[in-house]
Amino acid sequence: MKNQIVLLAALMIPWFSSAQTQVNGIVTDKSGNPISGANVYLEGTYDGASTVADGSFYFETSESGTNTLVISVLGYEPHYEMGEIGYFKNLNIVLVEAINQLTGVTLSAGTFEAGDNSKVSVLKPLDIVTTAGVAGDFVAALQTLPGTTTVNEDGRLFVRGGAAGETQVFIDGLRVFQPFNATANNVPTRGRFSPFLFKGITFSTGGYSAEYGQALSSVLLLNTTDVPDQEKTDISAMSVGGGLGHTEIWGDASLSFNTQYINLSPYETLIPSTQGMRWNSPFESIAGEAIFRLRGDKSIFKLYTGFNYANFDIEQEDINFEDFVRFRLRNNNLYYNSTYKHFFDNDWTLNVGGSISWDTNDIGLLENTIATTETASHVKLKVKKTFNRRFTVNVGTEVFNVDYEETFTAPDGFTFDNNFDDLLWAGFMEGDIFFSNDFALKLGGRVEHTSVLEEFTFSPRLSLAYKSGKDSQFSLAYGDFYQNPLTEVLKFDQRLGLEKTTHYILNYQYLKNGKTFRVEGYYKDYDHLIKFDTELPQFDSQYTNEGFGYAAGLDVFWRDNKSVRDLDYWISYSYLDTERDFQNFSTAATPNFAPRHSFSLVTKYWVEKLKSQIGFTYNYASGRPYENPNTPGFLNERTKAFHNLSINWAYLIDQQKILYFSVNNVLGINNISGYQYANTPNADGIFDRRTITPPADSFFFVGFFWTISDDKKSNQLDNL
Amino acid sequence: MKTLFKKESPQNHTIIKKAFLLFCFSVSLFATAQDQYIAGMKKAMALWDEDKITEAANLFERIAMAEEDNWIPYYFVAQVNTVSSFGLKDEAVLTQRLEKAKEFVDIAKRLSPDNAEILVLEAMINTAWITYDGATYGMTLSGKNTQLYNKAMALAPDNPRVVFSKANWDMGTARFFGKDPAPYCKDVEKALELFATFESDIPFYPNWGADRAKQVLEECKS
Repeated sequence: MKNQIVLLAALMIPWFSSAQTQVNGIVTDKSGNPISGANVYLEGTYDGASTVADGSFYFETSESGTNTLVISVLGYEPHYEMGEIGYFKNLNIVLVEAINQLTGVTLSAGTFEAGDNSKVSVLKPLDIVTTAGVAGDFVAALQTLPGTTTVNEDGRLFVRGGAAGETQVFIDGLRVFQPFNATANNVPTRGRFSPFLFKGITFSTGGYSAEYGQALSSVLLLNTTDVPDQEKTDISAMSVGGGLGHTEIWGDASLSFNTQYINLSPYETLIPSTQGMRWNSPFESIAGEAIFRLRGDKSIFKLYTGFNYANFDIEQEDINFEDFVRFRLRNNNLYYNSTYKHFFDNDWTLNVGGSISWDTNDIGLLENTIATTETASHVKLKVKKTFNRRFTVNVGTEVFNVDYEETFTAPDGFTFDNNFDDLLWAGFMEGDIFFSNDFALKLGGRVEHTSVLEEFTFSPRLSLAYKSGKDSQFSLAYGDFYQNPLTEVLKFDQRLGLEKTTHYILNYQYLKNGKTFRVEGYYKDYDHLIKFDTELPQFDSQYTNEGFGYAAGLDVFWRDNKSVRDLDYWISYSYLDTERDFQNFSTAATPNFAPRHSFSLVTKYWVEKLKSQIGFTYNYASGRPYENPNTPGFLNERTKAFHNLSINWAYLIDQQKILYFSVNNVLGINNISGYQYANTPNADGIFDRRTITPPADSFFFVGFFWTISDDKKSNQLDNL
Repeated sequence: MKTLFKKESPQNHTIIKKAFLLFCFSVSLFATAQDQYIAGMKKAMALWDEDKITEAANLFERIAMAEEDNWIPYYFVAQVNTVSSFGLKDEAVLTQRLEKAKEFVDIAKRLSPDNAEILVLEAMINTAWITYDGATYGMTLSGKNTQLYNKAMALAPDNPRVVFSKANWDMGTARFFGKDPAPYCKDVEKALELFATFESDIPFYPNWGADRAKQVLEECKS
């Protein structure tokens, strides 16, 4: 029995003989400022305390032996001290600031984001599509941001003195080979994708990550939604067609699809486009997109597919022909994109994906026909590892394959084939290092090899960001960018080299209470641009890589959605100074797509009483250069300035029904894109000219959008 | 063990005594742990009542970390952080608190899956974001909230907090779209009836909501 008493006593010792040990100390940050409210405790026990105003803490514990003291507080990395309980006296604990993605420095030079993350997004998904004058095309919304120039008759993105072909589009990191609808000259195109299926859009106007290549000026990154919120059906009826969308969820799997039929015939019958053209058969298109998602415990699988059929027949004025010139086009585009993402333990992430597209065009130009087929694919593998939120490494490799075939057939039966097959391999590696919440660095490089040109390139990329104040930061970016010559050239000559740009960007950003101010200065150096010696690239042209150029400018952005209740507005201004000697230029000059000053003002006002959002957008671009063969010099005349005022009105009939009305160029201003001069002078020795104007000055749009969902609250405001 | 049972008393007798003593001891240890839990939770609740937000949140967190498999303290860490974030203007602080709340709600969900109380709290975190910046978070989070409330309703249709929170959310949405929130008043009334009878034998089971529901019902009537 004695033994038992001894045993019992021994077991009870920690409880009875609770010689209370004191634990105390002080918690500060790196600069010695006290941190109050920190939770200091012995791991696995209730024993602990919070630090008071002077950063000190004190508590008593009955624990003994080796223990772990945990110090945790919001905004700092947790701190652990291990040791004998008696050692935890007069401690001086210095906490290291945690890297905060929201309030810390961001690597933002050259980048505009539209997404759910409020800190880095300049625009929200909703903004992109509720902008007046955009009519559902998110690319048009991006044209209200600085760094882009309005090229009214084209519709694609022209970034910082770059031509439209210098921008590439990616969905979930995979290349989209034909992001824009096929169209005729002087008839603006639209993006193929509805904003419906995307959760975030990143638009980089330069200095972008080593993960992306083959774009001299800019990349546009679209990310599809991971998990849809709810099942719903969207129905739309518009003056130009109709659409149907649906989202179905089965546990971890979901499917969304969106289809649209567009036919301009009824509109053209009512309000014909008459300026320099007439439709034989107005634009008609059928488009469908679907995305399937499967979410696992630690993985996400997505399969995206898009199909697009477009058809039109148009006759356009041409100074060199008596009659209008007929142009017919039938385009089929099928695109698949599949990605798999797996999250491993220890912060490893694996991304694999592939995209493939088939694009065919049947073109009729005068009496000739041109049939083109492009099969293109992209396969990518990427691994990411994050160390302690401070250091992230991205390593990846990718392969692009483009197989292009074209057959030209003349009315007399003469045929001519052009084709090329390119296999491009690339590898990239990039590190993001956050030294503190005030200073971050992105450093990377990209290696590419292209089979068609048999050339190796290496592109360094660097981006730095320094937080200069609570609400402001400076960023710097530098990088080399290479791109294959465009298909129009590559199909005729495969002995050329890659075109190159170097970007230098300096950015200042101020963000406070719903106000955003950004100013970005840049310099772009172009080299090895393609030149040829004919009016347009032809099979018998002489091609060289001897072109060059530069673009320098300043982009300013201001947005405020807090100062005036229910009013949200943004202002963009771009100054652009650029000259280049490329294509068939006789000397270095400012190209037609580069106005010196561009300005946009976008406003949106919510009128509670009318349950309406009313918006207007004003665009201005100074005169664009054009070449007048009647005067000496090259490309030294300017068109008159471009003005466009668009309005829209979205009326919520009820929570799920919206009536939408918009007018593009409500003032009916006659804008001029440029002039076409005759190839040969007339009897007086003067080259005659024709003014190039949009097919119609103004465009009206009426739509009705109806959403049917479980919660009876969703609507398609974000689709407009 | 085999050898133990082969042996005769008094050895056997000693073993039984030993086992009894050990049993007593472990009961006392268990009781001590339970007492400690109750004392700790009471103290944390008292701190919260005194508006000592940080101290309360820190103590709940210490309890949560020590208990490990009890969802209740995790729930309270999340709740203190969420409730105290309403009305904050500093985005950095707000984000820290709501991210902390989300982290602890996620752990609570793992410890107690399909728990309607935790889903309601998760919806409350989303509501805090929407309240802070409706333009940014309204579109994405309101759909999620609707789903959370629907799921909570399916799990626990007679839980007064579920019924009341859903009604309150529906009223807010109706007001946002300029609709009459009155149809949801009867749900608030139903919630109040449920509040009167709701009981749980789990210590410190969430019990908030009745006062706010009364307030909302007053607004309904006026």
